[in-house]
Amino acid sequence: MTKEKKISITIDNKQVEVRPNITILQAARDNNVYIPSLCALEHLPSYGACRLCIVEVDGLRGFPTSCTTPVEAGMVVRTDTAEIRGLRQEILKLLLSEHPASCLFCDEHDECKKFMGTIRKVGVITGCRYCPNDARCEIQEIVDKVGLTETSYPVYYRGFPVEKNDPFYDRDYNLCILCGRCIRVCNSIRFNGTLAFKQRGKLTTIGPAFDRTHLEAGCEFCGACVSVCPTGALSTKTSKWYGIADAQVGTTCTFCSVGCRLLLQVKNDEVIDVLPDYDDTVDQGLICVKGRFAIPEYVNSPQRNTTPQKLTPVGYEVITWDQAFDLAAEKLSGVKPDDILVVISPQLSNEDLFVAQRFVRQVLGSPPMMSSVLFDLGNDISSFFDLVLYTSTYDSLETAQGILSVGFDSTYGYTPIGIAAKRAAQRGAVLVTLGSCDSNLDMLSEASFKMEPSRWAGFLDVFTDSLARKGKGKSRGTKEFAGNLNEVTEALSGSSANVLIMGPEVIFSYRRNEVFERIKVLRDRLGWKIIVAHPYTNLIGMLAMGAFPGVKPGELLQNGSKSIKLGLPSLDPTKRKKLVYLVGEGRFDIIPDCDYLIYQNAIMPSSWRQPDLILPTSLFPESPGTTINVERRILTLEKATGQYMDSRADWWIMTRIADRMKKGKFKYKDINSIQNEIKKQIPNFKASKKKVDFVKIDFKNGGKWLKGSTKVEPESLPSATYSSYRGIPLAQVVGGMKIIEDWDRSSSFSDKEAQ
Amino acid sequence: MPEPIESILAKHDRKQEELIPVLQDIQKEYGYISPESVKKISRYLRISENQIYGVSSFYAQFRFTEPGRHSLKVCLGTACHVRGGATLLEMLERSLGIHCGETTSDKRFDLERVACLGCCALSPVVQIDKEIYSRMTVNKLTEHLKDYE
Repeated sequence: MTKEKKISITIDNKQVEVRPNITILQAARDNNVYIPSLCALEHLPSYGACRLCIVEVDGLRGFPTSCTTPVEAGMVVRTDTAEIRGLRQEILKLLLSEHPASCLFCDEHDECKKFMGTIRKVGVITGCRYCPNDARCEIQEIVDKVGLTETSYPVYYRGFPVEKNDPFYDRDYNLCILCGRCIRVCNSIRFNGTLAFKQRGKLTTIGPAFDRTHLEAGCEFCGACVSVCPTGALSTKTSKWYGIADAQVGTTCTFCSVGCRLLLQVKNDEVIDVLPDYDDTVDQGLICVKGRFAIPEYVNSPQRNTTPQKLTPVGYEVITWDQAFDLAAEKLSGVKPDDILVVISPQLSNEDLFVAQRFVRQVLGSPPMMSSVLFDLGNDISSFFDLVLYTSTYDSLETAQGILSVGFDSTYGYTPIGIAAKRAAQRGAVLVTLGSCDSNLDMLSEASFKMEPSRWAGFLDVFTDSLARKGKGKSRGTKEFAGNLNEVTEALSGSSANVLIMGPEVIFSYRRNEVFERIKVLRDRLGWKIIVAHPYTNLIGMLAMGAFPGVKPGELLQNGSKSIKLGLPSLDPTKRKKLVYLVGEGRFDIIPDCDYLIYQNAIMPSSWRQPDLILPTSLFPESPGTTINVERRILTLEKATGQYMDSRADWWIMTRIADRMKKGKFKYKDINSIQNEIKKQIPNFKASKKKVDFVKIDFKNGGKWLKGSTKVEPESLPSATYSSYRGIPLAQVVGGMKIIEDWDRSSSFSDKEAQ
Repeated sequence: MPEPIESILAKHDRKQEELIPVLQDIQKEYGYISPESVKKISRYLRISENQIYGVSSFYAQFRFTEPGRHSLKVCLGTACHVRGGATLLEMLERSLGIHCGETTSDKRFDLERVACLGCCALSPVVQIDKEIYSRMTVNKLTEHLKDYE
């Protein structure tokens, strides 16, 4: 890249060198010159709504807004003359004529922070709380900086009802100053288009079309608008009255396999809110509703297990950890390995998974291991792994010229992938969608094909065939797929950078194996890149750590240029067991009948089955570690808060039980000691942000693992793709997720009826 | 039968700047912009339904509800206003049970206010469809309404 030549301009009598192609406002900020602004924001396109950033420029008439005026060599800019100050005060007064100003101009304004002696929203004396944004409000800051102490206009209160009917955030447009940040972030960054200015003049409001709710209008509830709002107009339901956080901790989301970076906002040792990190290389701050809003409610849920408990004839009895370890050790030593089944969740950290597999192999004597991914995919798992282990990175979408999405919708999850695809479509890439119901990618697509999942494989055959003929001639079955298939394939065949996004709907559909095989054809014969969006967060880590039947730690990672044979062991998961040990897994539907059930997880599933022993675990904001996303990048999990009540990390619990069973040296003091051992055993396990790569695996199919478990409802509903964490549906714990899922389910039903 | 929306769309390029011409054509054909037509425009021009609504609600020329069979326009220009136009409007609002800018539930009447119809000498004036009724009173207007079904 050639280095941009800097240009020289004068700001407030100081000559500075600035980058070309930026605005005066950016140049001033780069050089620590303060210009007030309420509408300009980094990452957002310039807009010029608030008019506060006016400056004087020699040779330009009037007072141009610095956020929309590009710098030019030799420009002379004054940002803080008496005339500009006067004008800014007047502009701000006009702005405030529609914004309640009781917190801005108050007799007790100066003493407020010290004594907090005014009306309260809450029972304790914590300061004036008319608006949830107090002390985080940009208007308060600007009023101070511009030096406004009173306003001469009466406040016109617009009297809109506060909109509280949507999940996760409330909207009080009486506080809105129409800066348009929310609209710009919704349209230009998220490519979602839920928000728009409606009407005009003093009737202008912000919102979706036809007075629809945000839910109906296709809102992703990503919360990007809430984060950028300079006022209290948009506020998070759960955390709005918490005020400013004490600390911010960057970590990785473990709700799905994308691996977004999250900035956890911590107050009083509690996660109160989560913000995106726009500078992150994995997700670019494009997190979804789960990462943005579901975490505080999930980790602080009253449904969480707080202490170890054992089942007695008269109900659950609270026991100490020591008693729990003794009991677990006693039960586990009392049965033969073949009578045990250990179910390990793919949503644990690498460290937990490493300890789990070692515990299973060295302490329990290698009883069968199982995980939800194995149960869900059955014998189709080898084709699935063949796709998942060699996926492309998300940035392949940045250069893609053609994109085909299959069974993929990024409204409530996998948003970084979905938005990258939309961005590609906006810049001219050919986007084609294949699915059973409407997808949020349809709007920007060149063509979208709708059919039941059982016909996807057939469609992909015709698609590939048509692609090979470059869209020329008659292809078989094209008539059946009404639409412009030939046109689309003609456009796609000219491009050398094509990407296929496989969504979770494929995984949960009948005849998925045929779809996997067709996708492999596109990859191996036509050079398509494949991105898989699946809900098994740390599936890659699970295979790397060897917490999977028949896989030794590190065995599958690249080490020279070998290929490896992998056979899946046989087991009938419907066969009754003496003991089942669930490690971080809450899906009771996948486990066989058993005499004794040890449940190690944070939240109880809604089930008639009662575990005999409950071991409460901590969740990802409470214990450090690493995880690997679907791009195979190693990402770190940081500890943000202390343990929730008496819960402990999974590795800690398993280490203590192993210690009781007195088999070999099995002691880990802390997460570092585990990481050191992982490094020793798995030399290819690299540092954070690096990628791990897998050897070519030759799957020996036909293991009888999943006899009887491969039941997939024909034409399964998208509900199967709904998110859960450690086997517990998010909708069970997080109220807003339930609203979203109920609504989504009912709307996809009505779509079907309409057809 | 009005022309299907698909064929109206096909006359335009798939470019965002075609939005207002498309909206105008649809309004001309159907008399209003329905949610279904917004959905179809959205897919065709690749603009979200909400943005389309945002643009079209900015302009007074677009309406989003099916127009009634007859349009009632009450003039509230200066001359009509001083000679009782507001009383006529109030009477119509009360008797039809709708506000200005709305349509009766039986789709019989649309009620609108206009600033001036250009015939101030005849004030107060009410326009029903293409007919101008001059020197209106509440009683006369009530009688005239009966002619429109």
